[in-house]
Amino acid sequence: MAATEPTVLPDVDYRHPLPVRVWHWANAVGVLALLFTGFLVFDIHPHLYWGDDGHEGMPAFLSLTGTGLELPVPQTDLAIGDHHWNVTGWLGSVIDDGFGGHYLLAFSAPADWDFGATRGWHFAFGWLLSSSLLLYGVYLLASGRLRHRLLPVPRDLTLRNIGHEIAQHLRLRRTRGAAARDYNLLQKLSYLVVIFGLIPALILSGLTLSNAITAQFPDLFLLFGGRQSARSIHFIAASLLFLFILIHVFQVLVSGFFNLMRSMITGRFVVEKESLT
Amino acid sequence: MTDLMSRRRLIGGLAASGSWLAACGRIDQQAPVPQLLDAADGFTLHAQRLLIANRPLVRELSPAQISSSFPMNGTTLPKADYYKRLLDTQFRDWSLRVHGLVERPLGLSLAQLQALPSRTQITLHQCDEGWSAIGQWTGVPLAQVLALSGLAKSARYVVFHCLDKIDLDGNYYYESLDLFDALHPQTILAYGMNGKPLPVGNGAPLRLRVETQIGYKNAKYVDRIEVVNSLQSIGKGRGGWWEDFDHAVWYAGQ
Repeated sequence: MAATEPTVLPDVDYRHPLPVRVWHWANAVGVLALLFTGFLVFDIHPHLYWGDDGHEGMPAFLSLTGTGLELPVPQTDLAIGDHHWNVTGWLGSVIDDGFGGHYLLAFSAPADWDFGATRGWHFAFGWLLSSSLLLYGVYLLASGRLRHRLLPVPRDLTLRNIGHEIAQHLRLRRTRGAAARDYNLLQKLSYLVVIFGLIPALILSGLTLSNAITAQFPDLFLLFGGRQSARSIHFIAASLLFLFILIHVFQVLVSGFFNLMRSMITGRFVVEKESLT
Repeated sequence: MTDLMSRRRLIGGLAASGSWLAACGRIDQQAPVPQLLDAADGFTLHAQRLLIANRPLVRELSPAQISSSFPMNGTTLPKADYYKRLLDTQFRDWSLRVHGLVERPLGLSLAQLQALPSRTQITLHQCDEGWSAIGQWTGVPLAQVLALSGLAKSARYVVFHCLDKIDLDGNYYYESLDLFDALHPQTILAYGMNGKPLPVGNGAPLRLRVETQIGYKNAKYVDRIEVVNSLQSIGKGRGGWWEDFDHAVWYAGQ
């Protein structure tokens, strides 16, 4: 058992080499700025469609609409497919347009928000996200870190281990001892999905919204099933990434906040001794 | 929905926020932050120009795909008496002026524009708000009009001055393209939509279709084309109405 040999192993691991830490924080800044500006862009047309054509009056599979916007308490309705929810007070913020009319935003925006700049910032941070992902991807492959740290090893994939990990996660049990030196299977899989699935899907579906890009690469329309489908997938992937961040931050909070933060800032991670109590 | 959508973008409202605009003017001159935004936009422009150096055509769609309704965004009826008079006479007395850094300033009536070789294309229009619609556009390639006028050596940008005032402060709509987008084969001055004369709500008598670009670059109610060397002297200097008043990026191609 690993617990019987803690004296053989050093207490501190140099867990995250510099490229990992630089990427992590560059990516964190990029993703947060993109989520913020992206949801503000969504705000202005809170409807999701499928195919190429999509505008007001066309069937949307997700839609936020408001009624009685001029009333003291306007009603807002969230529709997903055929299901409707009255989300008054939860989603939907009504803003005076300055011309005597009112309109609905999904979330509230700053009073002096300028939409044009929001969109511009979204692209600016898109460069940060995509260039840092590209560099990190090269690093992961070239350094062998992908194989050594992220790809599951055979012992991860035994039924017994999978069941054990799920139980440990559900009980919010902190990993200690030798097992804490490596990422566990669920951790590996979620990082792989984010790095090789969600972020690339976000970049590609975002590029599909550009007329100039699709002029050169029309197959992007085939890949995503149309312009509006690409926009919808962009928002769905962004929502999943947001969900990942919530879980990620929660786990950092419950699994030793200072140790984990230190490891992502200085690289050094203290391996806690396994306790049997 | 129509007027509403143009206004959605003006959070706080221009009428209510004259001081905000003034503040933005101040920020523009001093703070490095908007410069960073423009630098990123310039980076996007150069990266995309490398990618599309061979001027690929955007996808053209089939008549069956044309949207049954096409949103009329921004201005849907210019309010000036001048425009009403033009409309009453079906634009017979109107002509498109082409001037600035050209060899031969032009005035082209609608009939003269329609007599030039035309191009018809069914394309996907995308608004930066997120919606899209498919329409068929008929018009004269902008490259052809610019070839008629001839371009001076120093010509770099093409500015479109429009007949509509989008806001309350008396500014007419304006937009601009560089020569790369202006001379693209699918960049046309459209006078027809879906097989009919261009409707007023979509920009009659003449609108720009620049298919490699986003909605707000596709100026409606085009009245005058000015060829310039720099955008400094146009509006507040950022090249377009949304660029000047909403900090939209000039190269909107994303």
